[in-house]
Amino acid sequence: MKPPDWDELDDEIRGHLALSIRERIERGEAPEAARLAALKEFGNVDLTRDSIRGVWRPRWLDAAEALVRDIRFAFRSLLRAKGLTATVVVTLALGIGANAAIFSVVRSVLLRPLVNRDADRLIYIRQTALGIGTENLTFSMPEVRDLTSRATTIASFGDFSTVNFTMVGVGPEPRVVTAGVVNGSFFEVMGLRPAVGRLLHAGDDGSRAAPVAVLTHRFWTSTFGGDPAVVGRPLRLGPGTATVVGVLEPSIPYPAETQIIANVVTSPHHLGATMVDDRTHRMTELFGRLAPGATVEAARAELDSLHASMTSAHPKAYSQRAQVRLHVATLPEQIASPARTILLLLLAAAAVVFVIACSNVANLILGRSVRREGELALRAALGAGPGALRRTLLAESLLLCGAGAALGLVLAQPLVAMAGRYAARFSVRALEATVDASVLWVGVGLAAVAAVLLAYVPRLPSPDRPGGLGLAAGSARMTPGTSRRLRIFATTQIACSFVLLAGAFMLVSVLTALQTARTGYEMRKVLAIDVPPPDPNSGDRMHAYFEEATRRIGALPGVENVAVGMIVPWRDHNPGLKFRFAFEGYQPADGEEDPTCRFRPVSPRFFATLGVPLLAGREFTDQDRADTERVAIVSQSVARRVFSNGEALGRHVGWTSRGLKGAHRIVGVVADVDDENVVQEPTLTVYYPLRQMGLASRLFVRAEGDPYALVPSVTRTLREMSAEQAVERPRTLEDVRAQVLTPERLNAFVFSAFGGIALLIAVVGVAGVLAFSVSTRTREFGIRLAIGSTPAQLLTGILKEGVVIVTAGITAGAVLGLALARVASASLGTARMPGLLPAVGAATVLAAAAVIASLVPAARASRVDVLQALRSE
Amino acid sequence: MALTPDDGRLELLQGTLDMLILRTLQWGPRHGHGIGQAIRAQSDELLRVETGSLYPALHRLVKRGWLKAEWGISEANQRARYYRLTATGKAQLARERDRWSQLVRAIGLVLNPEPGKE
Repeated sequence: MKPPDWDELDDEIRGHLALSIRERIERGEAPEAARLAALKEFGNVDLTRDSIRGVWRPRWLDAAEALVRDIRFAFRSLLRAKGLTATVVVTLALGIGANAAIFSVVRSVLLRPLVNRDADRLIYIRQTALGIGTENLTFSMPEVRDLTSRATTIASFGDFSTVNFTMVGVGPEPRVVTAGVVNGSFFEVMGLRPAVGRLLHAGDDGSRAAPVAVLTHRFWTSTFGGDPAVVGRPLRLGPGTATVVGVLEPSIPYPAETQIIANVVTSPHHLGATMVDDRTHRMTELFGRLAPGATVEAARAELDSLHASMTSAHPKAYSQRAQVRLHVATLPEQIASPARTILLLLLAAAAVVFVIACSNVANLILGRSVRREGELALRAALGAGPGALRRTLLAESLLLCGAGAALGLVLAQPLVAMAGRYAARFSVRALEATVDASVLWVGVGLAAVAAVLLAYVPRLPSPDRPGGLGLAAGSARMTPGTSRRLRIFATTQIACSFVLLAGAFMLVSVLTALQTARTGYEMRKVLAIDVPPPDPNSGDRMHAYFEEATRRIGALPGVENVAVGMIVPWRDHNPGLKFRFAFEGYQPADGEEDPTCRFRPVSPRFFATLGVPLLAGREFTDQDRADTERVAIVSQSVARRVFSNGEALGRHVGWTSRGLKGAHRIVGVVADVDDENVVQEPTLTVYYPLRQMGLASRLFVRAEGDPYALVPSVTRTLREMSAEQAVERPRTLEDVRAQVLTPERLNAFVFSAFGGIALLIAVVGVAGVLAFSVSTRTREFGIRLAIGSTPAQLLTGILKEGVVIVTAGITAGAVLGLALARVASASLGTARMPGLLPAVGAATVLAAAAVIASLVPAARASRVDVLQALRSE
Repeated sequence: MALTPDDGRLELLQGTLDMLILRTLQWGPRHGHGIGQAIRAQSDELLRVETGSLYPALHRLVKRGWLKAEWGISEANQRARYYRLTATGKAQLARERDRWSQLVRAIGLVLNPEPGKE
């Protein structure tokens, strides 16, 4: 049914009048008199028109109009309470902003689909060796062949390993690029497409193929400016050259962030015997695409049995203790899983902040509604029903929460960027996190929830209540119910803040322990530099190169010592560099095996350069060469554990696999240093002279003064030897360690920020409750002062109220925290229970802050002017 | 509702205007003015419907689907909106008539109890 338009309405009315006038004229009235009489009889034309329109107006429009009216009223009344409005809006904005930011990161990491075609049919296979603490052992090529040749549930396999090349001719300086080396089916398995040119295919496999490379999208845009003409261009990679055949579409850099992805023939190492035949030379990651109809479970079962038969066929390569197992997961699971725990924790923390923010806002609103009880009672008396009153409150809270959400979403923008960078170290996908519509919905949803909750917090005046409608002008009296609610909200805030603060304190104490832990190295004076040798496949040329380099750099002014090694502590991870060693005069007990030790080839003066104390014997010298006696140095823990009297000097050591034939004589014992864990643990390490065995690519320079001042002269010296030499990442050991500790620092920082926000809100909350309680009890205090209470008694009374709230809150928080920790450790498995110290620290901070917060209102109570108080009502 | 509390005139009972309008239109379409006049004439000038009540009521009945409105030319040779009873409107009129006669009977019974029943 369509409403008539307004011109038609006017026509109808005009028609009516015309008929009426005609009728009167026919009855003999004068035309002018007839017109006036007709108009008079009709009554108010505008009113009639309005009521006709009213008939056609939809119901919801009336309701919406009423709401708009209420919102305008709320807007005016909030303008009169600017302080309260600002506090509420900022508090809500913090709560909503934090939630929106964390949610957007969670969404992009855990919920958004990958660009890979049918990512759910794409699986990632890894070997774990939990017995030696390795989550991902990776695979060797013999293992890859064993697993892939017989599997029927997997349609095809892709393998991936990384290798570093010095790339010359792109950009002004030689640079090290990381290349993914893959087989021809890799991209087909991964389900990725080229952005330009082509990707690799089966024709690129084998040692006779032409060396070709695909650029990753990021590298293409950052280094080649996204120029499509790059296809066909040759790239100089180390000793060889590969042709660019295409650019990969933007995708998650998994399993590793690389600049290029190349075929096997590009990397001489991948063609070598060690790579092809050594079952324990593990550096390859394995992907598979499920065969049509096969499920992940079926693939898991089949690969498990293939793996079991493989390990039993080669018992030497899989020790009992290492517990080598196979692990199969879909790629989305694999990528998201490391981040899941931390993201859920963050989400929980953000939710707690939201609860705190809401309960604080609820308190403020409750206090306000008590103050305006008179106004509400008056409106109720004038006929406003409960619905209308509730609508007034709803309009007000909608306005507050809407403003809070708007500000929160503005805050979310930088917070998302921060949270994304933070979470990126757990999952590369976090970098994709952006503020989008979903965040908007989260913000709006949270605001709506908050608004409705807040509108139902205050009680409406009702004639049934004891005391009836408190119409007495402007008086604010607190009813026991309101007071109890205020206290409950304040207690909730304290409890939640306690949980967050205790968590933050725990992370900070972990961080402090890490930062102050001793490492055994000279941290500040030693510069570590990545110097990939020009020809890593020729041992002699490498040795000659480093000998010359150390000689020249050692002669530079300001250089105290120079040495060469294989690993920069904490920065380089090479879990493969652990071997079982046989020691002369040591017999493992029954059921035990030879100890597994880290193997580190080092140059002469290595220990002097890095400041590792020599406890017995001597360092390696320039006289320890390939053609002289084979020697070794062991760490203190080796000497203690292997030799009963600690006398290691003069004994022989060698790889268990080769026995003591051609073993090295131990000539020195050095203090333990742990180059893998930031917190030092007793480590069994065996050092060989670089000249006698091993590769190296790391230069250590010990400076007399500022280490970074040496970087230009060291670089210049190396470039003088070879203009194509890459010289990368010069850092002091202290900075290397700090960088490694970044995750811990970030964890501590993020949770401290949450804890700080929570503390701030909670303190405002407690102070607010007490201040409100004081302001409504002015009269009571006046009477008490008049009949002989001292101000000090009033002051302690209010302080006691504060202490009661805080104590209750902390107790509740401790219970809540324990429960959460229990749940967390049950579901996450890795959560640590917070120690007593962080809990006590959090409790102390909260209690102190709350007591200080309650001092202000308490002081006001004790300063009440008796006469004014008694007259105030 | 429509009320003209002049001397000698009657106040229309709540809800009866709709019924009167429907009844007036039973014998054919009329415009608003005609409906007002018909009610007045048929009630011996006792009921006079105010235009301020009549027109909103007409539109309400159109909205409910009991009447249908269309434009025509009035006897004053001017555009006028004619209202016509729809099928549902006829059914509604029957219902309201029944209810009204029951009401009248009930009130009559209360006011003039049959002798011997008291």
